[in-house]
Order: sequence, then C-alpha cells, then structure tokens
Amino acid sequence: MLLRKSGTVESMLAIALIVAILASITSVVNHVNSQAETVRKLLNVGETFLVLSKNSTSITDSKVDTEVANLVKNVANTRYVLPQKVFTANLITTSDHSQTVLVRGVNTQDFLEARNAQNNGVSANGTQANVGEILSRLASVDKGDEINIAVGNRMVTLEVAGIIQTLTQSDTEIIVPMNVANHLTEDNSKLSLIEFAIKDDAQTEIDNLNERLPANVKILPTQQTQAFIQDLNTQTLSFLSLWSIAVYATVTAASYVVASRLTIESSYELTMLKALGVKPIFPFKLILSLTLVIALLGSVLGLAIGLSGAQIISTTTRWLLKNIQIAPVLEIQQIAQIILFTLAASILGSIFPALKAMRKTYAELPL
Amino acid sequence: MRLISFKYMQRQPLLILTLVLMIASVLFSITSFGFLGFYKTFNAYLGEEEDIIAIYETRSATPFTGVIPLQLTTRIENISGVIANSPEIIAPTLVRGKSVFFRGVIPEEFSKLNPLTMLEGETLQLRDTYATIVGKRLADSMGLRVGDGVLVLGVRIDRYLELDVKGIYESKSALDDEAIVPLYIGQWLRGTSYQTITVIRVKIDKGKLTPTQLYAAIADEAEASPPSRKTKPSPIEEIIPISNAAINPETIGVKETQEFMKTYLEKSGMTQETLLILSVVVFSFASATLFSASHTLIRQHEHEIAVLRSLGISTKTLRLNLIIKVLPWSIAASLVGVLIAEAALFAMESIGLQALFHTIHFQPDPLLIILNVLLVFAIVVLGIMHSSKKLNPK
Repeated sequence: MLLRKSGTVESMLAIALIVAILASITSVVNHVNSQAETVRKLLNVGETFLVLSKNSTSITDSKVDTEVANLVKNVANTRYVLPQKVFTANLITTSDHSQTVLVRGVNTQDFLEARNAQNNGVSANGTQANVGEILSRLASVDKGDEINIAVGNRMVTLEVAGIIQTLTQSDTEIIVPMNVANHLTEDNSKLSLIEFAIKDDAQTEIDNLNERLPANVKILPTQQTQAFIQDLNTQTLSFLSLWSIAVYATVTAASYVVASRLTIESSYELTMLKALGVKPIFPFKLILSLTLVIALLGSVLGLAIGLSGAQIISTTTRWLLKNIQIAPVLEIQQIAQIILFTLAASILGSIFPALKAMRKTYAELPL
Repeated sequence: MRLISFKYMQRQPLLILTLVLMIASVLFSITSFGFLGFYKTFNAYLGEEEDIIAIYETRSATPFTGVIPLQLTTRIENISGVIANSPEIIAPTLVRGKSVFFRGVIPEEFSKLNPLTMLEGETLQLRDTYATIVGKRLADSMGLRVGDGVLVLGVRIDRYLELDVKGIYESKSALDDEAIVPLYIGQWLRGTSYQTITVIRVKIDKGKLTPTQLYAAIADEAEASPPSRKTKPSPIEEIIPISNAAINPETIGVKETQEFMKTYLEKSGMTQETLLILSVVVFSFASATLFSASHTLIRQHEHEIAVLRSLGISTKTLRLNLIIKVLPWSIAASLVGVLIAEAALFAMESIGLQALFHTIHFQPDPLLIILNVLLVFAIVVLGIMHSSKKLNPK
C-alpha cells in the first residue's frame, strides 16, 4: 500500500542512479584490469629462478649451503643449474688502477652459455677470468691482460681469457671459476645463490622443489610480470574502493531522504495504525523494510542502468573512435557486493527517520 | 509583504538538506579532483616546462614502452636551439616485493633538465656500475637507506641484478617515486640492446627552435650519412658500445613533454574534457537525491507555507524567498563538501595512493569549486521550482 505512494518511483530512481554510477565505473575498471591481465598473458614469462637465503634482501648478503645445489640439480626439466658465489673485491690492474668490483664465481662455460654471451676469447678456467665489456672499458682491461683481485688480505692474479657482453649486470663484473671464488672468500661451504631455468611446467617443478628445500632458503622467479600486473590492478581498485565510500555515503543520504519522505507522505497511514493500537516498533519496522525494498529494487535497477549505460557508451565510442575498445563487465561477486553494500548504506540512512516515526505519539501525527 | 527576515523554516530539515547537499558535493569533488588529479599527475610525469621536448617512438602503446635509437642523442646535440638533451630508458621492476620504475639516465645530462636535491648520500655518476639513487617517497615507503643492497627483478625481461643505494634525492616531482640508475643499467632492466632508449628529453631555446623544426632537423639527420667518428667520444660512448644505427623518422615523434603524455591518455579516450563530463554525469546521477531532498524540505514545511499563502503571499514571492533562504546553506554545503573531499584526497595521498606506481597529487581547481557550488544550487532551485505546486494552499 505504502509502496504505491507517488514518490516511490522517484525514490527508487534516486538510489538506482547512484548505484548506476558505481556499476558503470566498476565495469570499466574491470575492463582495464582485464586488459592488463591479457598483456601479462601475452608476455613471455621467464623460466629462470633463484634460490637465495630466506632473510636476504640482496645477493651479496645471501648464504646458501652448497648441498642445496644438489637438490636443485635433481629437478626434472632443468635447462641449467648454476650455483654462484657473488662478492665484492678490489680489482688491481697492471696500470695500478684499483676499484671495487663485483666478482661472480661460477662454472664459467655454463654461465656464459646461459647468458648467450658474446665473448672475444674463451671461457675462463683455472687462473683465468672473463671481464664484462663495460668494466673492461672503465678499467682499461683487455683480453690477455693480467689482473689482480683482492679480498681482504687474499689476492689472486688472473689472466683475462675474454671480454664478454651479456646485456646484464655481468657486463660490469669479473666472472671467475668457482675454485678461484672459494679461494678468495676462504669458504667452500656456502654459495650466494643458485640460478636455474626450467624448460616447461615450471610451477609443478617449483612446488615439488619447495617441499624438498630447507626452510632457510626461498625461490624467486627472476621475471615478476604477474606481481607487477597485480600491483597495477590493486592500485586501480584502491582508488575505486575509496571513491565508492563517497558513493555509499550518497546512498545513505538518499535513503535518509527516501525514509523521511515516506514518513511525511504516509503520516495518515501511520496515524491510523497507531490509532488502531499497533505496537510502537511497528512503524519503525515498516519504514525500515519499505526503504530496504526501495533500495533493493533501486540497486537492481541501478546495476542494469549502469551496466547497459556503460555498454552503450563503449559501443558508441567504438564506432566514433576505432582505436578505443572497451568491454565493460561486472563479476557476480561484485554485483552481490554492490547490492549488499547498498542495502547496508540504506539501513544506516533510514534508521533515524524510522526511529523518529516510531517515537512520534498519536497526538503529534497529523491526519 | 517582505519575508526575508521572517524565520518560518525549521532548522532541522534545513540542516538535513545541507547534509545531503554536502554529501553530493563530496562525491562530485572526489570524482572530479581525483580524475583530474590523475590526469595532471600523468601529464606532468616527464616535466611541465614548455621548453622541454620529448623525442619518442610513435608506435608504442604506452609512454614507457617505446624504443628509439640512442644515437639520436649525438645526432641532435649540435642542432641550433638545443640547450641540453637527456636520453632516458624507463624500466618496470620489482624490488622487495614492490613494483618500482627505474629510470636509466646519463646523470650529467639528466641534471641539466632535472636538478635533484640530494637528501642523503651522494649524487649518481655514469661510472657507478652497481649504484642507484632513490626518490624520497620511494625510499620512505620501502624503508631504504643509503648503503642498502637491493635485489632488482625484471618485469619485461627475465633478468635480475643487485644494486647499492648510493643516495636519496628529492625532486618535488614524479621522480620521487622512482629510482635512477646509469643508462646502461636501465637498458639491462628494460631488456634492450645498448643502442636503444625509451625517450630523449630535449631542453630547447624556444626562440630558436620549435618541436616541428626539431622534427625536421631529425628527418634531415636521418637522410644524411652518419657522422664520422669524433676524436673524443662522449662519456657514454666511452662506456657502452654504440654503433651507427639507421634512424626512421616515420616512427619518431617530437612533442612538448606534456603533449607527449597527453597523446597516450587520448589514445584511451581520456581527456580533461571527458573526465570533467564524467564528473558532471556522476553529479547529475546523484542529483536525483538532491531533487528529492528539496522536495522533502517543501513537504516538511507544508504547514508554514499554507499559513503564509493564506496570509496572501504569492507563490512567486514564496518560491523566491525559499530559494534565497536555501542559498547560503547550499553554498556552505558545497564548500564544506569540497573541504571534506580535499581532506579525504589528502589522506589518500599521504597513505600512498598511487596510479602507475606514482603518487597522485590532488589539487583543488577553483573552476571546479565554482562549478560545484553552481551545480548544487541549480539542483536545489530546480527541486524547489518543481515542488512549487505544493505551495498552493489545500
């Protein structure tokens, strides 16, 4: 009966239009996020992983037991496994030039192959070293030169077996065989990291490896496209969440207006009900439930208006501007969330007018 | 009969209307300031100065993903009107679980366009092969200190490297959310060869050179044979191998930096006008509530209005008087709404709300504030006018 009041449609529309704003913008944001996800799927996600000590924030502070390398080598489908020791040392060239450099102890041949390195010489072995191209230019070192590398009091003299270009940090490093690295660091039991690559079905292999590895190490994929895209989407959703607070505040205000209007326009019916002796809580329940029905119908209508509006605008934009392709979409849980939050905001907004209607005495209500 | 001084309106319904107007004003302000804040922050990414020009790849889908030949840098440095030019490569990465943009630069050239204030540590040198300097906001959000070692993981490429934090800087720009490294480190992280970069920013003498003239000069350079080897190579040529690559002017664009960034937003239909229209549409949708609230206000004063009408006050006078009485409340509600929205956006900014990993700066626009006041008042007037039939005595 009360729903047939003249203002009901207007009230429903007021809530529907606010919900429509939220629905349309959420659907467009979903499209933007799905585009980012598509980009992620199109990119060739890498197959390289690092094993580092769990609490390390950098390679040089990571310490991994050498035995861990054997566990990694047992992984099926590996393209390569490269146990490495990375540390800083002093490079002293024959021209008495000295500078701090990164030294990487590794199986040099496997390492340079894995890096697709261009090498003007050969892979270092014994007492030889490969020097990165940028470092060779900075330190004026060439193939065949002798260089001294010092860590604390320990120093080795190495012959430069080749200058390498890898387009990675190794272009500024000295690559030495592992025995040289162990000699300089006086430690055969620890590595800095284990780098390995898996040919296919990487995730299954990584899950299996994770179960076998000791608790003090962690596995990191070296290409973090997925994490980046997730961060990007989270940022968009954060703004949307904060903005939607303002939208729900407007729903609360709209519900207050709806309930107030309902109380005013139904004063005759409420007076009659009180005169007939209904319990005081009844007008409260009545106003609250009517506002909720209006909010529910409004939110469903709003979702329809918002989504279809966004679809119409995107189709028109596609006709007008060929390069803009927007496909607005809402997920089921988002629809449920919008309806539930609208109802919650509506309850908040209608409580005060409903309480007011409940507290008014028979004498205060005009006929 | 004069009604101005006659206080017949009840305070509570008027306050409720003001509250509803204020909430609508907050919604409009958050939407418009938020969207336009993002728009302006994005456009200012490479600088706001009109004498800084960007040379970029026209085919790229985003401003961060294009590649142009590094060799262009040396080919344009002698063009009359070019004051300084900074080749830059932008690479997305992940550091300590957080997404970070690294910008590879030639520090000496970069500082001519963006002088940085070092807050801690030392300035970056091209020869700092394992070092990075970090923007203040980024350092604060990640708890980075000078001397910290960081493991940097690639996003576009399967690559990792380790860097030491050499310094922390402040630039009062988007750079405060980034980390800066020597150009070649940026190239590793971006996964390109030593021959390519993302963008060249050129500081020009506007009296001598325009973007169009610079483009024409680049096209001429592309047709000319590569310059013979100079007696003294530039600092970057001393460090990385640069060969004479062919330049294709058809894939190269030259624009003011802000115009360059705008190009990418416009590609997705995002212009200042469309964002403003969107904000007005959001307000219009919320205005049904304002309309209803104005109507409810009139219904709440039915008794007072009926008395006034029976005393001989005309509908026109009564309507005008209602509008005048609501006007100050409407203006106050709009302005308080703007203030609340501004406070909310400031809170968002201070908790680190970002878009594309750069902090958004929300600035109130005086024109938007005026528009807000006018829109709120207009809806209230329409609501009162619409309810005018209720002003007639029963």
